This record gives sequence, C-alpha cells and structure tokens, in this order.
Amino acid sequence: MATSTVSVSHSIAVPESRSTTPWYTWLGAVAVTSASIGGAWDVSWHRSIGRDTFWTPAHMAIYACGVLAAIICGYLILVTSFGSSQKLKASSVNVLGFRAPLGAFIAAWGGIAMLTSAPFDNWWHNAYGLDVKIVSPPHTLLILGIRAVGVGMLFLTLAAMNRALKDETTGGLQTSKNLQRIFLYIGGLIVGGQMFFLLEYTWDIHLHSASAYVAMGIAVPMVFAMLSQASRFPWAATSSAAVYTVFAIGEILILPLFPAEPKLGPVFYPVTHMVPAAFPVLILVPAIVLDFLWQRTHRWKFWQVALISGLLFVTVLVIVEWPFASFLHTLAAQNRFFGTIYFDYNTRPTSAAIRHVFVNPDSGSALFGGLFRAAIYASIGTWCGLSFGRWMRSVQR
Amino acid sequence: MKHSLRGLFLVCVCLLCAAHPVFAHVGSKDVFEQVNAGPYKLFVIIRMPTVIPGVASIEVRSVGAPIDSLRITPLPLTGEASKHPPTSDEMKRSSTDQAFYTGSLWLMAAGSWQVRFGIAGVMGNQTISVPVAAVAVSTLKMQRSIGAVLGTLGVFLVLSMAGIVAASVREARLEPGALPSPTRKRRAFIATAASLLLMAAAIWFGNKWWNVEAASYSTNVFRPLRIDPVLSGNQLELIVHADGQANEHRARSNNDFLLDHGHPMHLYAIRQPEMDAAFHLHPALASPGVFHISLPAMPPGDYNLYGDVVHANGFPETLIAKVTISSKMKGAPLGLEDAAAHPQPLSQGELGTSFKLPDGYAMIWDRPATVSVGTAYSFRFRLVDAWGQPAKDMQPYLGMAGHAAFVKIDSTVFAHTHPEGSAAMPSLMLANGRANDGSNMTMSSDMKMDMENDPISSTVEFPYGFPSAGRYRIFVQMKHGSTVETGVFDTTVR
Repeated sequence: MATSTVSVSHSIAVPESRSTTPWYTWLGAVAVTSASIGGAWDVSWHRSIGRDTFWTPAHMAIYACGVLAAIICGYLILVTSFGSSQKLKASSVNVLGFRAPLGAFIAAWGGIAMLTSAPFDNWWHNAYGLDVKIVSPPHTLLILGIRAVGVGMLFLTLAAMNRALKDETTGGLQTSKNLQRIFLYIGGLIVGGQMFFLLEYTWDIHLHSASAYVAMGIAVPMVFAMLSQASRFPWAATSSAAVYTVFAIGEILILPLFPAEPKLGPVFYPVTHMVPAAFPVLILVPAIVLDFLWQRTHRWKFWQVALISGLLFVTVLVIVEWPFASFLHTLAAQNRFFGTIYFDYNTRPTSAAIRHVFVNPDSGSALFGGLFRAAIYASIGTWCGLSFGRWMRSVQR
Repeated sequence: MKHSLRGLFLVCVCLLCAAHPVFAHVGSKDVFEQVNAGPYKLFVIIRMPTVIPGVASIEVRSVGAPIDSLRITPLPLTGEASKHPPTSDEMKRSSTDQAFYTGSLWLMAAGSWQVRFGIAGVMGNQTISVPVAAVAVSTLKMQRSIGAVLGTLGVFLVLSMAGIVAASVREARLEPGALPSPTRKRRAFIATAASLLLMAAAIWFGNKWWNVEAASYSTNVFRPLRIDPVLSGNQLELIVHADGQANEHRARSNNDFLLDHGHPMHLYAIRQPEMDAAFHLHPALASPGVFHISLPAMPPGDYNLYGDVVHANGFPETLIAKVTISSKMKGAPLGLEDAAAHPQPLSQGELGTSFKLPDGYAMIWDRPATVSVGTAYSFRFRLVDAWGQPAKDMQPYLGMAGHAAFVKIDSTVFAHTHPEGSAAMPSLMLANGRANDGSNMTMSSDMKMDMENDPISSTVEFPYGFPSAGRYRIFVQMKHGSTVETGVFDTTVR
C-alpha cells in the first residue's frame, strides 16, 4: 500500500514521560455511548409512545453526550491554552488562538453544533410542525454534531494511541492496546451511527431492494477502511461491525422489557412495551471478509484495494443478507431475539411490515444495475476511508 | 411566499411569508364550545396550533355536576383511524380553581379531528367530543433575535471548522513539540481555503434543501376551496372548485356537503367597506359544486361573501368571495329563514350596546367592561319588546336560540357561531356518533330535547374569544313570532 511521509522541522526538546490511558478517552467513549443509546431510545420512544418533550430520558442521554464532550473539551482547551504543562502544549494544535489536542477541537465543534441545533429545531417545529421525519436540516445539524463529537473522541484516542506506540516500555504498550480498544469501540459506535442514519432504507422489508445496498455501500465501507487503517488492528472492521451488531441485538433484547403505551393516535397496533429497531444487518460478514482481504493486500495500491473491496463488500453482503431477510419474514424469526414481532403503534394491519412482505423488491437488470452502483460507491468510499485512515495513522496531537 | 436572504450555514436566517390564516371560520382558529354530557357541563377552549403537526392547548371549566377527573384524547373524526384512539391524557386540575382544567394534545396530521373528553364524577362516567379542524394556517417568519443568534453560531461553526482543518494539516501529525515547516503552513492555508469552499457549497445545498422543505410545507397551508360567483340579475351562482388532496382526513370535495341546520351553506353577504348592510342567506345546491340563490333586494355596492359549509368528513370551512351588486338589481323577497340588517356605516362611529330593530323591538348586548384578545367570553344578548320587556314569543331560528357572526372590519376575521359554540353542528354530531341523514340533522339530541321541551329564552349566550386586536362588528340573529331579528353591535378588542 502507499505510504505517507512526515516532514518534521524545527524540533524542540520534550521531556519523556510514562504513558497512561488518559481519563478523557474513557469519558469520551461514555459520551459517544450515551448519544448512541439516546438515539436508539428516542426512535423507539417515537415508535412506542409517539410524542415526547424536551426532557424525555432519551433526549437526556443525547444531551449527556454534549455535556460530557463540553467537560472534556473545555478542560483540555483551558488547561492546554492557559495552563503551564509543557507536555500538554507540546502535543496540541492551535485553533483560533486556543491550544488543545485536535480531537478536543473537533468534539467541541460537535458540541456547539448540537447546541446550535436545539433552538434551530425548536424554530423549525414552530415554523413547519413537529417532527415527522428524521432527516430535516436541524436534525442533520444535530446528527453532524453528534458525529463530530464521536470523531473528536476518535482523534483524541488515536493521537494518544499513536504517541503511546512510540513508548516501548511495558506500560506504553499496554496503554496503546487500551487506547486501540477504545478507538475500535468508538469506531463501532460510529458504524452503528451510520446504520442508524440509514434505518429508513435498511428496514427488513427493504432488504430485497437495491437501494438498501446502495445506501450501505455509500456509508459503511468508508468507515471500515478508515478504522482499519487508523487503528493498525488487523480485525478493525470486524470489531467495529461486532460492536454495531451487539448494540443492535442488545436493543432488541432490552427495550421490550420496559412498558410503554401510545400517546398519539391512531393506534392500529396495540403497543404495550418499548419497540426496538429491526435486527441488525449482517455487515459483520463482509467486515470479516474485508479484514481478511486487507491483511493480504499491504503492497497493493489503494485504488486496487478499494476496487476489490467495494465489489467484495456488496457481493458478500447480498449473499448473506438477501436470504437472511427472507428468513426474517418467516415464523422462525418471530421471537424475542430476531424481533420481527415488534411494530409501531401506527402500523396498519395491511402494512408490509405486519404482512412480512418486501416493499418494491428489485429483480433483473434493475437489481443488478443497482448493486453495481452500490459496488462503485463502496469502492469510492473504501478509497476515501483508506486514504483518510492512513492520514489519521500519523496524527500525534 | 417571500424569502429573505439567508446567511452563512443552514442556521443563519430564513424569512418566510405570513399567509392569511384562513380556514373553518376566517382568521379564528380556536374553538370555544359549551358541551353537555349527562349531568356534566363543560366550557371548552381548544387553542389550535398554527402548524401541523402541532400541539393544541386545551382549557376546560366545569360548570355542571362536580367532576373528579377529566381525560382527553385526540382522534380523527371519521374513517378507520377514528376507531383506534391512543391512551388518553389526564387534564391537570388547577390548584386554585377546582373547576378549571388544562391540558395539551398533539395533532399529528391535518384534517378533521376531534378531542374526546372522558369525564368521571360522582354522577358516573360520560364521554363527549368536540370537533376541531386541524390545519396549518401560516408559515413562520424567523424573529430577528433568533436569526441573529443562529447566524452568529453558524458563522462561528464555519470559522472554527476552517481553523480545525488548518490545524489538522499544519500540526496534527507533527511529533509533540515540533514546529510546522513553511510547507505545512502553505498546505494548511490551501486546505483552509478548500474547506471554506466546501462549506460554502454545503451551505448552498442546505439552502436549496431548506427552500424545498419550505415550499413543500407552504403547499400544506390551508386554503379554502376556490369559489367563483356568477351574478346574472339577482340570480347568484356560486361555483365551488374541487380540492385535489388525496389524504383521507383532508379530502374535500365540491359535492360532499352536509346539511347544517337544514342548509348546505350558510352565506353571509356584508357590504364593504362600511359594513352597513348584512344578509344571512341560504343558497341551495343546484348541481354538484354549484350553489344557487335568488338574491333579495340589496343596497348596491361591493359585498364580501362568507359561505360556511361542512364536508362529509366533518371538516368545516368558510368559502370566501366578493360580488358587486348593481343599483339596477331587482331583488326577490327575503327568504323565510333568511335575515338582513342595515346598521349605520362604520365611519359614523361605534354602535352601542342597544340596537333598535325595525319593528320596535331592541336587542341588547351585556357587553363586558373590556374585551381583550384571546380571552374566552360568553357574550350575552337579550331581545326586548317595544316596552323594554323580555320578548315572549321566542322561536328557534334555524334550530338554535340564536346565530352570531363576529366580523373584523378589515375582513381578516369571520366567525359564525352558535349558543353551543364555534364548532359546526354536523361536525359536532359526527364527533358524538350521531347519524347525519341530511334531512333531520339540525341538532344534537341534547339540544333537540332542549328545543322540544324548553321554551326558547329571549337571552342567548355565545361562547367566543377574539383572535386579534382591532374593531369588530357583531351580527346576532334571534327570532320571535315569525320575525327574524338581526342586532348589530361594535366593539374594539384590545
């Protein structure tokens, strides 16, 4: 694979110190987890209860992400900019006159974007009505903010990991391993975030349509490739896909434990408990295949790897998900684990979800044309992810 | 719709038009209704949202048998969805006024809805529904203060992101303590410029997206069915054009009108600009979508026409048009159920609380000391004979003790109400599960009982609240013997 070079000039001496896992990386992982739980909970809330307020627990979990990000970033920016620690200053960057690790600025930006989205969303409700869809301009800003917090935490962890890797003591190695795990965990939540954004396209009733695979081709391999390159872990895509899968299955197992009743009508389906999202898409399988491929193509150029990866991702995903989606429509899947027994309160008896049938399934040239486009997007995404991931690999601050 | 400039990023500023809030009634979205459910009597105010989906605020005063709890549920008025209500919400009882309750409900779709009240008290449980027309009535202009805050945050987000991009290229990959080389600084500069360009493109796309969303929303803002008046001699045809909405709750046809007090349309014609002639007429449906009436003798001039109709799904609306009456028009006699009034012109000053009627009777308004915007009143009017005594030969007029129209002098508000309130009677009947067979539907069973068993009082009260400040003219119809009287009153709402 292509390599990048690091040009360094005008070095100044920095005292060596023993590496430890920074507290803010743990807290950052908690912040991103909180946002992920809040997002899933909020969708379930709207599907089970229907209406909400600013103060629902699901919203609180999302806001907690912003609060924790503010604590981490505020502390790092203030201590680095105005404190006396030369070590902190040495591993910081300068943004608008302030100094802190790059990840702190990215996460802080995300926090401010989340903060901005609140009055924007409130105005939007007053101007155009309460939410009937996830993807609106203020929600996009909120999601962008949450994602920036996640990426910021990823960078904070990554920079610390990259620095720890140069510490060849036992403590340094252990620290870098810990940080790598945190990095992959946050990366997995980001994969989950991508899939969350695609929920409306990847519901089980849409999994015999090319559009679902196009959506995943655009959004998923890019993150896999980035995480793989940046983390240096041979099973990075697998690990992050596993985090997404476990999180989504956990949602199915946990949410229905809590009672809920619809507060909006019409109620076509009698909901008595919180409704979870659908069973996770089996991106874990193409992730394993991609990791396997990437472990064997170190010497290839990125564009060659990307081309094969895109084709492989879509092919493997279709091979496993297509029959699995059919399985989800069988009686065997109608249980607490696969979760095809849960429906929104406003699901009509005649709906495709209740009848367990696919919506506008594709076949023939429409299907293969769509899957070919998905493979092209996946290849482009992989190339971008590989390039950005390689760049991230050398982030030190 | 007019748009203002938008600043940087999505959050900067979007200015949208304010359309006239026109719907069932004109410019008067809130519902004021007095309902009886067995021994319980509720004075209900439903303050409707200006956007849909939106939240309606509900206030209730219990004036009948004491109640223990009051629950509310929103559900469509007709169709399959009306059979599947969500869990009801308990209204909050005031800590200082045990008979006063407040609550709120989400109305998630436009159309013909109802608010169902579940009443529990010592006299048992009862259910009663009040119909509401859920429609978006306007788009919202962003206030300068919010625009400034969002714009500032947007600019900061753009600048700080550019700073982050610069820092990431310039320093992020340097060894701790290392200083950036001139090459890195140059690359950072280029990356910053590129990121600004990229963000400008994102803002441009965001702006386009916002425009699409705003345009899409503006198509949902309620507009009454278009009505074309065609006048030939004194023969007036009102041609109603169909609406293309496909939604089951919103569908309005030009041929699905329910009879309201025995008529498919209640038409008010009010001479402009002085409001010195007003007629309450009842055109007949001549053919699908075409109303016809032979106009009575009317002073020449320009008239505003307000035609109240109710669709099969219970959705009420006021169709509006203008017509010019020529001085050469020869009018027909006024219909038996029609009414007319010829008050003094607006420019001659405000009318008082006593209106002298042509036959020597007088109508008196017990006007509150002050009338303020948004406050719910029960406006009381009395009919007295030539000797100032309460009229004794009272008769129901169109099945009711009285009819009232509250009209703002700038024509932005028109509300035709009844003693029970501002909801249309066919909608009220649909909401409470009573069949409307078109012929004998004029009143609810409670009211019918009242009418049949109780003498009509010479005093009538209309629950109503004015939606905006300004001068209003009020037309009130009551009937004694075979004479329909129209009293006219003015008030300035503050």
